[in-house]
Amino acid sequence: MMEIDGLRKSYGEKVALDGVTFTVGSGEMFGFVGANGAGKTTTMRIAMGVLEPDAGEVRFDGHRLGFADRRRFGYMPEERGLYPKMKIAEQIAYFGELHGLATAKARKSAADWLERLGLADRAGDHVQDLSLGNQQRVQLAVALVHEPEVLILDEPFSGLDPIAVDTMADVLAERNAAGVPVLFSSHQLELVERICDAVGIIADGRMVAVGSVGELRRKEGRRFLKVAVEDAPTGWADALPGKVVGNDDGALLIETDDDQAVLAGAVKAGRVTHFGWQEPTLVEIFREAVA
Amino acid sequence: MNGLFLVARREVLVRGRTKGYLISMLISAAAVVVLAFLPKLLGGPDEYKVGVAGTDTAVISQALTSVKPSSPSLTGDAQATVKITEFPDEAAARAAVADGEIDAAVVNGDTLITDGGVSSELSLIIDTAYKQVASSKALAAANLPPDQVSQALASVPDIRQESVGEDAEEAGARQAIASIVVIFLFFMLMYPVMFVAMGVIEEKSSRIVEILLSTLRPWQLLGGKIIGLGILGLINVLVIAAAGLAAASASGVMPDLPPGTISTVVATLGWWMLGYAFFAALAGALGSLVSRQEDSNSTITPLTMLMIACYLVALFTAGTPKSTLAVTLSYVPPFSAMMMPMRSATGSVEWWEQVLSALILAAAVVGALALGARIYRRAVWRMGSRVKLMEALKG
Repeated sequence: MMEIDGLRKSYGEKVALDGVTFTVGSGEMFGFVGANGAGKTTTMRIAMGVLEPDAGEVRFDGHRLGFADRRRFGYMPEERGLYPKMKIAEQIAYFGELHGLATAKARKSAADWLERLGLADRAGDHVQDLSLGNQQRVQLAVALVHEPEVLILDEPFSGLDPIAVDTMADVLAERNAAGVPVLFSSHQLELVERICDAVGIIADGRMVAVGSVGELRRKEGRRFLKVAVEDAPTGWADALPGKVVGNDDGALLIETDDDQAVLAGAVKAGRVTHFGWQEPTLVEIFREAVA
Repeated sequence: MNGLFLVARREVLVRGRTKGYLISMLISAAAVVVLAFLPKLLGGPDEYKVGVAGTDTAVISQALTSVKPSSPSLTGDAQATVKITEFPDEAAARAAVADGEIDAAVVNGDTLITDGGVSSELSLIIDTAYKQVASSKALAAANLPPDQVSQALASVPDIRQESVGEDAEEAGARQAIASIVVIFLFFMLMYPVMFVAMGVIEEKSSRIVEILLSTLRPWQLLGGKIIGLGILGLINVLVIAAAGLAAASASGVMPDLPPGTISTVVATLGWWMLGYAFFAALAGALGSLVSRQEDSNSTITPLTMLMIACYLVALFTAGTPKSTLAVTLSYVPPFSAMMMPMRSATGSVEWWEQVLSALILAAAVVGALALGARIYRRAVWRMGSRVKLMEALKG
């Protein structure tokens, strides 16, 4: 379990982080979302020890996170870092050794990951000769080569094609299933909604919402009744309790506390072809949370 | 320590396998070999052709070929040998000299035929041979048995030579060696030091440093880089020094080199290591200030200027190694890294002077490493625009 507790960081006048607090549980996939410049990268860099916070701390399994703990972490920085003129298999194995693997084991693990990520035939190529998407796969292999106990990935999905996105998601889910907490940031909210157990929304250096997608829906999101009535007269819903907030291809979106009254009104107005709660998407929750 | 080793190993394996490294090493080694053969190619003839005619040809031939000229010089003349050609009579010998077929002819064991004189060395050889033959003859005429005579003469040792001033030829050779030492040191230092700076900037600009620093301490990363590139530099230095010494002995220049040349080469290795450690520590620190390769010039330039300054001063004082400037700067780091080996190559320093200067430089190396590590630690993960040196020092 990794706890981010009350992180503060300022650059001169600008407050980058203002008391960022959240927890990533063992085997939890935590999606970290926020606008550009909201503080995601700063938080992750502090968690990796690349940056010192002005206040607050990061704990791992109850103790303050130290250098020795971080050696067992897997990290993918926002701006990718690889040696352009080093063969990829050697490079992955090198990072494995830096994280404490024995030479032979590091080589084996590097080969396994290249195989898994579909890069086995490129093992002897220099990183600079790979496409950006393939460089990203190497970057993932670098983060995973030493079987890390925690994964911290800054925008791991950006720039990947749909198949690579699936591979990445599968790999993360697999590590997750092995009990590894995964913290990753992304702007692809549909993806975060689909694969994450928990989501944290950050805006201007503050966490504005943290919880499972379901919890966020209940807490943060507004939900609407979506009601479609065939041949209903215009304005049939005006007298019902609640407010019509939109029209989705002929179906009305109604914000209300009394769904039964709305249903009765709809039946009276005509043939009801659709009636149901429309759950807010993460995109909608996000828009509202950061508004 | 393991991290330090891993970083150093990567530098050696990755940088050492690049074409650039291997090619530059081969070119430098080839250049040194050419340099070693140069005196041979430019020097005078190493064989004199001398004709003999008339009486006493056998004894004079034997004497001429056994004379060993013993003046050391860089021109290779000391290896000169004499090739004897016998002519049926004096007229034939004269004609051969006139035609330039031979350099000189000895007729009847007492007359030297030349075409406008001979080089001082050949003149010395012939004169020595002539006197040998003449004195044996005189002694034989005094009824001494011939084998006793030759035995007596053979036991006469060469004259012991002592110089109250400097041997001009040797001083010239020493100055040449001192200049070569300085040029060699400069280039052998420049390459790996620049690689350290470039390597640090590469890691910072590619942001790989973020991943590295989550598993390595800054001193391991900088130290490993300095050690790894230092090992490559040392291999380079050893290959070139070995190529130079091997070529010098193959080309026959070796015996002409002033005494102590080998120890000069060995001491130069030590000076190289101290100089490298000093400059590399600063190069790593300065490299860590910038996040982009394009910015590297502005931060590395002061260091290259300093190295060039050391180089030029050492080169220009190679002719005057006893001047106040040369003596003073041979104790001032980092000038001493080139000045002291230069002075040492000219043979004008005592051993304790070298040790003292090396100790001062070693202390400066420790200081440079501490300072470099401090700047590096503070600057290396600050991305964006160039970090100001003062900020990194205070920060």
